[in-house]
Amino acid sequence: MTGPHARRAPRGRTIYLDNAATSWPKPPGVADALCSAVSEFGANPGRGAYRLALETGRAVHAARHAVASFLGVADAKDLVFQPSCTYALNLVLFGSIAPGQRVVTTSMEHNAVARPLAMLKDRGVEVVVVRADSAGVLDPEDVERAVSAAPTRAVVCQHASNVTGAVQPVADIVDIAHAHGALAIIDGAQAAGHLAVDLTALGADAWACSGHKGLLGPAGIGVLHLAPGFEPTELVAGGTGSGASEEPLQPRERPDRYEAGTLNTPGILGLAAGVGWLAEHGEEQRAREARLTRMLVEGLAALPGVRVLGPGADEPRVPIVPIVHASIPADRLAYELDARYSIAVRAGLHCAPWAHRTLGTLETGAVRFSVGHATTEQDVADALDALAVLIGELA
Amino acid sequence: MSRVPQRYVVFGFSTTHDALDAEAALGSAGVRAVPVPAPAALSAKCGIALRLPPDEERRARSVLAAAGIAPSARIEIDDV
Repeated sequence: MTGPHARRAPRGRTIYLDNAATSWPKPPGVADALCSAVSEFGANPGRGAYRLALETGRAVHAARHAVASFLGVADAKDLVFQPSCTYALNLVLFGSIAPGQRVVTTSMEHNAVARPLAMLKDRGVEVVVVRADSAGVLDPEDVERAVSAAPTRAVVCQHASNVTGAVQPVADIVDIAHAHGALAIIDGAQAAGHLAVDLTALGADAWACSGHKGLLGPAGIGVLHLAPGFEPTELVAGGTGSGASEEPLQPRERPDRYEAGTLNTPGILGLAAGVGWLAEHGEEQRAREARLTRMLVEGLAALPGVRVLGPGADEPRVPIVPIVHASIPADRLAYELDARYSIAVRAGLHCAPWAHRTLGTLETGAVRFSVGHATTEQDVADALDALAVLIGELA
Repeated sequence: MSRVPQRYVVFGFSTTHDALDAEAALGSAGVRAVPVPAPAALSAKCGIALRLPPDEERRARSVLAAAGIAPSARIEIDDV
C-alpha cells in the first residue's frame, strides 16, 4: 500500500459500503436481542401455554406490533413474517396471479420479482414490462398506458431501485393500478428504513421488504404487509399453533395463514431491535444518509472517467450510488478497493439484469456504493480518495 | 378436606395473535385474565385461552369489544 489514502483506510478497518446488500454493522441492541432470543426465549411461540412459551409468544407479538407501527400498518395481524423479502414476493406473486392473466411490471425489477414472473410467464401469464428512463425512474404515464391497454391482474413495482437508488412514484402507481381494477404489489426491499413509509397511506395490496437491509435486523427474516381483503393463496401449509389442528387445511386467519412452521424468533426479535433503533434515530439517520449520498454522487462524478448512474443529487433517492468507469472494469475497481483499502463495495449486476439492461450496463455491470447508519463522512472521503488513486493508476 | 371448586369463564381465540392482543388489552384494563392451555371442550382454534372469574366477564367483553377483539369460543369450567 502506498500513498496517504492507505493511512486513512488501513487494513483491519473495513469501510463497509454495501449496505444495499445487507446492513452492517447492526446498531446497538440487535446482537443482544438475538442472544436473548436464544438464551431467554427458548420456547416455541404460540405452541403451548406454559410460561416460557407465553413469554416467547409475547415477545414475538410485541415485535409484530412494533414493526407494524413503524411501517404505518393499521392492524398488526396484516403484517406477516417471512423468511425474506424474496419469499414474501414469491408468496404474493404465485398466490395471486393465475395462467391467462396479465401483469404489468417494470424494467428495474430485482430478480426477486423478475424470476417469479418469468416462471409465471412460462405458465401462461402475460408479462408486460414498462421501461424506466436512463436514470432508472418510471414515468407513471407509461404505467398508465400499459395498464389501460388490457385487463390487468396486477402491477408489480419496486419502491426504490437496488441498482440506482431511484425512488419510484409508487403512490401514483398504486392509484393507477386500483383505478384499473388491478392489484398493486410493491417490492419495498430498498425503501424500508431509508424512506419514511406509511403503508396505510400508500394503500398497496401487498408490500414486502427485507429485515436485514434498511430495517437493520439480521438475515433470515422478511416482512410482508397484506391489505385487508387481499387473500393470496398461501405457498406453504403446516403447523401454526392455531387454526384447530385437526382441520386438514391451513387456517384462514392472519397472520397464521401465512406463517406455517415455527417462527424465526431470533430473527423477529433482532428485527424489532433494529426497528426500535430506527424509531428513535430514523429521521436523523435519513438526513445523514442524504448528506453522504450527495457527497458520494458529487465526489464520484468529479473523478475522471467516472459516470454516476441513477438520479441526480437533488432527485429522490435511497443511499445507493452506482458508477461505471470509461476504461476500468467494475470488477477490477471493486477488487482493488477491497484488496488495497478494505473498502467493501459490490460490482456486477446486483441480481437485477433487467435494471442494468435499462441503464445500458448489462454487459459491464457497475460498482455500487451504498451507505448505512454507521457510515461516516470520513469513510466516504476515504473511499473517494482511494478511488481517485486507483483511477490514476489503472486508467 | 376437599377444595371448593372455583368457577371460571374461559375465552378461546382464533389465533395466538388474538389471544395475546386480548391478554394485553385485559391486562391494561385491570381484568384478571390468566392465559391457560385451551381446554379440549372449548373447541377454540388457538391453543392459548384466557381464564377469568365469572364476575369479570361483562367487563372483559366490553374491553375486548373496544379493542376490536372477539373471542371465538367460550365455556365455563370448574377448577378443582
